[in-house]
Amino acid sequence: MLRPCVSPFRLCAPLLSIRVSTAAIEAVDLAKSYGEVQALKGVSFEVARGEIFGFLGRNGAGKSTAVRILTTLLRPTSGQARVLGIDVEAHRAKVRRVLGVTLQEAALDDLMTGREHLLLAGRLCGLTKARARDRADQLLESFGLASAADRIAARYSGGMRRRLDVAMALVREPQVLFLDEPTTGLDPQSRRALWMRIRELRDRGAAVFLTTQYIAEAEELASRVAIVHDGRLAAVDGVEALKRRCGTTVVKLHWAGGQAPAAARFAPLDGLTVSEGDDGWMQVAVDGGEPEVPAVVARLAPLGGAIERLVVEGPSLEEVFVSLTGSGIDSNAGSNDSQSFSAVRRGMGFSSTRGA
Amino acid sequence: MAAPAGTQIRLLLVRNLREGVRNPILAYALPVVIPLAMLILVAKTLSRVTDLPGFPTDNFAEWMTPAVIMLTAMTGVGYAATSLVLDIQSGFVDRLRLLDASPAWLLLSRLLFDVARVLPAGVALLGVGVLLGTEVNEGLVGIAGLFALLTLWAAAYGGLYFVIALATRNAQSPLALAPLFLPLQFLSTQFVPRSLLPRWVQVASAWNPFTYMIDAARALITGPLTLAPVARAVGVALAMLMITQLLCRLAFARAVGDR
Repeated sequence: MLRPCVSPFRLCAPLLSIRVSTAAIEAVDLAKSYGEVQALKGVSFEVARGEIFGFLGRNGAGKSTAVRILTTLLRPTSGQARVLGIDVEAHRAKVRRVLGVTLQEAALDDLMTGREHLLLAGRLCGLTKARARDRADQLLESFGLASAADRIAARYSGGMRRRLDVAMALVREPQVLFLDEPTTGLDPQSRRALWMRIRELRDRGAAVFLTTQYIAEAEELASRVAIVHDGRLAAVDGVEALKRRCGTTVVKLHWAGGQAPAAARFAPLDGLTVSEGDDGWMQVAVDGGEPEVPAVVARLAPLGGAIERLVVEGPSLEEVFVSLTGSGIDSNAGSNDSQSFSAVRRGMGFSSTRGA
Repeated sequence: MAAPAGTQIRLLLVRNLREGVRNPILAYALPVVIPLAMLILVAKTLSRVTDLPGFPTDNFAEWMTPAVIMLTAMTGVGYAATSLVLDIQSGFVDRLRLLDASPAWLLLSRLLFDVARVLPAGVALLGVGVLLGTEVNEGLVGIAGLFALLTLWAAAYGGLYFVIALATRNAQSPLALAPLFLPLQFLSTQFVPRSLLPRWVQVASAWNPFTYMIDAARALITGPLTLAPVARAVGVALAMLMITQLLCRLAFARAVGDR
């Protein structure tokens, strides 16, 4: 009979109080109450190494509480969390050594220069003076702060502050990176630059836990997302899987002459939700997603009239968010991308009918 | 690995001292203002107080100098407590904790910063006191002892500010505590010897830690230097330091949610 091979590391793991795990971050039934207020009501998820995991939710949904627990800054009321298999409550110092963290506000000392921030961070986490200096120079250079290195943080712009904050989180080359709303308040250019850097870190094997209120940001960066709503996880899954599950593919057709042929308007189109706009556009929701689009068009084309233009819109993460939480993310927090997208979706004044 | 304790304290203290250099008026000039005004104005305007029967010296400035040196600890501290609360509010303390800085060394470095702000003020006041005729009868030993006691007293009294600031988590709260030095001055032997105080003030002064600091400072500068007043002052300041630091640690842990 074949016996499973047991490595010495696995045998020693319980003694080392390290749980052998392939996950970079594991949360099991995490809950946190502040008096009467329950900020987290039992959330469980895993984040793999080399993955960007989006933690999406409105203000007050519990995102920052989760980050503070996972980064050892706050003790959970119940539940467990591990980073690289190390329990965050029992071995806080060990966990901190593998983490890079930026919290919601850029945590800087206004009277310290950019370079002084990075030197202090490097020295505190045990780098020698020379190593700390090299690391600071390297980070200042790669975050475009070299020319402002000796200016105090009070004279930095919002974007520069955020970049310095992220640079500080990278001083010890973390294996697990927590970014709590890292691009809030950044201009689109700085946001894109930071997204690029986050992808680079992921490519080097770091796990990135990214909380955001920007749906477009999660869609752009994350391979998997958790949607947190009122302290609970409404969903955890791959972005594409979620879209398939909760979103709808929409085919928009514009007919020659500005009006759909009567046959198309009144024919019972089984399984299709059809809406008709007053500007000649007809919108058909395709439950089966993109693979079914050709078949749907094939059913509509012979009904008379000529299709002048055809647009296929895949499901959006925003739609998923709305369907899971019952409402959209704060409109003032939504990115321009997602706002304009919603406007396109809503602005056509469709009235819908569903085929029997 | 985290930096060793000594390195952490040095790095954090250097950060605080540098912050002071970039904000010099508030950080280093303020502690000297009130005691200096007290020494020059009060000692000059009330100089005839020494005519009272039983007054131990005929130079009121000499009587006041040791007291106002100890007073620098009370008018000087508070700045670091406010800075610490601002660091908590900005998330900088969280950042430092994530970099393995120990909360104990964070607190200690802030406390040492307050002490470091007070010592130059003490030196300035001793200089002015000597110019106004104060005799340093106990020499270098006395001066060394005086500054050691000033350090201890600044740390003990500064601890009160940290407790209040951390308990309320309000950066403004140390301001509210600032006027405390006023009643403490009048309920002590700063202006006149104990024998000339009204009976009820004598009783109050015995419960006022500042009284013990003044008595020891006088023994250390103008003399005669005896062990008893110094030992009493050190005992009172140490007890106050221990109590305030214990409360500080608890309040700090609560303030950063580290329960």
